[in-house]
Amino acid sequence: MTTFLIRRLLLIIPTLWVIGTLTFFMMRFAPGGPFLAERDIPAAAKEQLERQYGLDRPLHEQYLKFLANSVRLDFGPSYKYPARQVTEIIFEALPVSLELGAWALLLAVLIGVPIGVIAAVRQNTGADFAAMAAALAGVSVPNFVLGPILVLGLSLSLFVFPPALWSGPQSRVLPVLTLSTAYIAYIARLTRGGMLEVLRQDYIRTARAKGLSEFTVVAKHALKLGILPVVSYRGPAAARVVMGSIVVESIFAVPGLGQHLVRGAFNRDYTLVLGVVLFYALFLMLLNLLVDISYTRLDPRVELA
Amino acid sequence: MSAAGAALGPAFAPEAEPAEATGSRPESLWADAWKRLRRNRAAVASMVFLTALGLLSLLAPWVPGLADPTLQDLRLGATAPTAAHWFGTDELGRDTLARVIYGGRISLMVGLVATLVSLIIGVSWGAIAGYRGGKIDELMMRIVDVLYSLPYIFLVILLLVFFSRSILMLFVALGLVQWLTMARIVRGQVLSLKHQTFVESARALGASDAAIIFRHIVPNTLGPVIVFTTLTVPAVILQEAFLSFLGLGVQPPDASWGTLVSDGARMLALFPWLVIFPGVALSATLLCFNFLGDGLRDALDPHDRRDVA
Amino acid sequence: MRPVTLLRLLAAAAALALLSCAPAQRADVQTASSGKRWFGDLSPPAENVFTYANGAEPERIDPGLMSGQPDGRIARALFERLTSPDAKTLEPRPGQAYRWDLSPDGLTYTFHLRPGIVWSDGRPVTAHDFLWSWMRVLEPVTASRYATFLYPVANAEAYNKGELKDPAKVGLAAPDDSTFVVRLGQPTSYFLTLTYFYTCLPVPRQVIEKHGARWTRIENIAGNGPFRLSYWRQNDRFEMVRNPTYWDVANVKLDRVVAYSVDDLNTCTNLYKAGVTDWNPSGYLPAQYIPYMRDYADYRTGRYQATYFYSINVTRPPLDNVWVRRALNLAVDRETISRDLLKGSRDPWGNLSPSGYPGYQHPPGITYDPEKARECLAKAGYPGGKGFPKISILFNTSEDHRRIAEAIQAMWRRDLGIDIELSNQEWGSYLQATTSLQYDIARRSWIGDYLDPNTFLEMWRTGDGNNRTGWSSPQYDALLRRAAAELDPTKRFALLAEAEALVLDQGIVIPIYHYSTVELLKPYVKGLYQTALDVHPLQHVWIDREWQTRPGPVAADPRAATDQAGPGSDGTR
Repeated sequence: MTTFLIRRLLLIIPTLWVIGTLTFFMMRFAPGGPFLAERDIPAAAKEQLERQYGLDRPLHEQYLKFLANSVRLDFGPSYKYPARQVTEIIFEALPVSLELGAWALLLAVLIGVPIGVIAAVRQNTGADFAAMAAALAGVSVPNFVLGPILVLGLSLSLFVFPPALWSGPQSRVLPVLTLSTAYIAYIARLTRGGMLEVLRQDYIRTARAKGLSEFTVVAKHALKLGILPVVSYRGPAAARVVMGSIVVESIFAVPGLGQHLVRGAFNRDYTLVLGVVLFYALFLMLLNLLVDISYTRLDPRVELA
Repeated sequence: MSAAGAALGPAFAPEAEPAEATGSRPESLWADAWKRLRRNRAAVASMVFLTALGLLSLLAPWVPGLADPTLQDLRLGATAPTAAHWFGTDELGRDTLARVIYGGRISLMVGLVATLVSLIIGVSWGAIAGYRGGKIDELMMRIVDVLYSLPYIFLVILLLVFFSRSILMLFVALGLVQWLTMARIVRGQVLSLKHQTFVESARALGASDAAIIFRHIVPNTLGPVIVFTTLTVPAVILQEAFLSFLGLGVQPPDASWGTLVSDGARMLALFPWLVIFPGVALSATLLCFNFLGDGLRDALDPHDRRDVA
Repeated sequence: MRPVTLLRLLAAAAALALLSCAPAQRADVQTASSGKRWFGDLSPPAENVFTYANGAEPERIDPGLMSGQPDGRIARALFERLTSPDAKTLEPRPGQAYRWDLSPDGLTYTFHLRPGIVWSDGRPVTAHDFLWSWMRVLEPVTASRYATFLYPVANAEAYNKGELKDPAKVGLAAPDDSTFVVRLGQPTSYFLTLTYFYTCLPVPRQVIEKHGARWTRIENIAGNGPFRLSYWRQNDRFEMVRNPTYWDVANVKLDRVVAYSVDDLNTCTNLYKAGVTDWNPSGYLPAQYIPYMRDYADYRTGRYQATYFYSINVTRPPLDNVWVRRALNLAVDRETISRDLLKGSRDPWGNLSPSGYPGYQHPPGITYDPEKARECLAKAGYPGGKGFPKISILFNTSEDHRRIAEAIQAMWRRDLGIDIELSNQEWGSYLQATTSLQYDIARRSWIGDYLDPNTFLEMWRTGDGNNRTGWSSPQYDALLRRAAAELDPTKRFALLAEAEALVLDQGIVIPIYHYSTVELLKPYVKGLYQTALDVHPLQHVWIDREWQTRPGPVAADPRAATDQAGPGSDGTR
């Protein structure tokens, strides 16, 4: 286990380095800079700003400084919002994105698993087909199509929920719904698949033969193992939720990390983009690691690679 | 490869059927699969829809009665659906039906080309790695692992924001995101196939490695590859749509479904039909691809009912 | 319990939960009794809160360093200047200064500060604060973007550019705590309107010296304006509450102001329609909506101090030939663009400076004259467009800019026989190209900073950073210098008109349209008026819950008297 952990952690470091370097050079070589504006800045002011941010130093110096600072998790102040440090911005926006993602996944499990179970139990009946068709539809409708349609119906026609923002419980509803739909569908399919596998097993037949009620058979015996694909999907699910939240945050103007990434890129906010990208990468890799570790706990047949 | 992924295994465990040296096996497999597929009504309906869509997209310039999607009528402006314009018009007076159909051309083209890119790279990579085995295999798959853990979509976004947004860049960027899984699947297949008798005989006959890989092994991996391709196309279309939604994908005057949805969403409060029609078109197409992919998977390997995420 | 029944129960519970999330009362009064149509939800807020969309997240809320309208709106709520603009006419009214005198030679302003004004942390506001704040703006190391606003002050420009080292020589003085004296380099009739700009807002010295760059953080900041900051989350919102230490707090009727930092135009409009915001400021409505919004009573429009034009790089052939430039100018059909393309939402405009300067007579604007255009082109050596090299129009990526460029491309092809290309770049690259003169023709806009035509004319001086055309004319520079020294306003305006005529004649810009303000305002919001500079002091705003029984024009005519007849001076607390 320890060797596995060490190997994985060692893999993370060079990956982060690659990402950081790529992003750093991409930003530096992209046309336009953070201090250009429609209106001219006096030359003295521009020089001063560049000096402040170390942009007047040679490129390799800037790069080394960036590496040194990144290790200390100090990304400096944001270019666009100089009163704030990048780490500050990230930690202010992080709870929002986490909350959005957590609700979405929770909803996905709460709704997806029961649907999948029912579909498996009622395999090849109308309920199964209906559920799976609905699931497939959920996967196929992109969240940037679903979002505006929900806004149209529930916000602009019936003034039930606000069309955007993240203040107050009502404003949580539409973004979470939009983000979770695809995962409800995925999880339903996974659960169905997993349950079908399990329901074929002999010990299930034994349990039924023993006279246990269908519900007990399903919920107490089959579900534990049938839900394994869902559990293993947690990692990729969380990762995808992170990606999906970028779009949802844009549509609903949710002040999370995804917004900072997109806006920061358009604003040429070097430090902020670097910080956010590295943070995301680290987060995703740690998540995958955790999921892999937890998977071995659940299914001792699995060997860690 | 994450441990979880390894445990679930690639979607397609090797068939228990014995191999035949002459290659007649693939034919009976296909005929068999086709029969099973035909019974899946949803898959058949999807195939019909997609074929019709493909034909319509291809022949769009010659369809009689279809308006020119770039024709502007500024005095008309945006109108709701009418008899003259079934899907209504946008704020420049362009016919939305035409825009949706031509948008489909672009979306499908991007989907197919990018998938082709990922197919070529992925199949080659996976086949070589699987066949060669040993150190080469380990190196190649290690590279895949590292690349797999990169948050690709960020780099793609950054790339497109800072540099050119040509359609070529888009193909490459999208294709690069998808080839990894393809490589893994193909490698898994190749690993199980390379010890089969027909490979041994080909080697005995003096065929070069390249010939063995590409003429004998790869054709036998076609089953899972086809299924995966059918599921990759919608994934790529979706990604392109997502990038277009952010303004990074297809650039005007070309418009894909993603750009149409994005543009339409910008005028949601007044002209909702501009979102609804392209959105439905996009969703329906993706749905059909998914149905078809599912159906193909069931048809080619009926014992495997597991859904791989 | 059977799984199916369980599922049904879950579904029912979910539905119930969802419905109960809906707010208790949402009166959707689509048509008020007067028969007018309103855009969206009409229920006024339950509390005395004014909510609006503020646009992009402000880069900073330090008045001396900021640039941008969203930044300015917040700063103007938290800080107050010497003078305060009238909500309707923008005339200077007493602010932190209750009185000011101008010396007969027009060079010295003496401001007398009100007694008892304090910062929100308790410290008194003195003339020294104003002196320190303005010197801070002029300090080269501060890198203030709008230090140019204070250049009329004697020696300010030299000091800001680093040529003058001694701060005492700059024409600002505070002889005692409540007197602030400003000495100008030459008479500047628009000086007071210059000081509207947020750069001239005072800042608390004690806080800045203590906290440095972090002084605007919510736990540190102190202001002297009608509101104080109570909540700030990036990309989310600002919340401000009435400032109890403000000198005129008795007349501030709002308890709270919420400003959402949303920059997507469509989202802003959706928020307004759904009733989340009460005001959608100008510029936050998607351009495509404008033609369809005219029927709504909450749609307000008026002339705005900004023009849209094409800038020509006169250093590149064939654009270095003045006849070519004149030809291009005369072949643009502004009327058609404005009427058909822009659906009449913008006025066609053949001048450089916009309207709205009382007393200023614009020189004759450029009109559409294809015949004359062809003559000019022939005189330049390209009769019928033959041999005309390929040039391109540059614009930053936007559907609106593209459409106009396409229309002009078609016009030039039709009327002049020349073929040009279009080139769009994203914002960063576009800025780089225009500042480094790497373009042929580029789309530009300019917004006036103060109520005087000079703000549109000074940028074309030789070497000005905002020139970006490479044009240099000693004759023009001389005209502007004479105008600056001219004391008589009529003569001065005549000189400025002559300068503008010169710019137009030389064809270095191709004017296209005049901007308008377009905003949406809920009928229950009173005290907010359409102004030429799009400046709206928030302390005069109040929520009128009885707006339906008190009909008065909310939209078109800002000079309607009924709005001001609100509750008495003790406000609606």
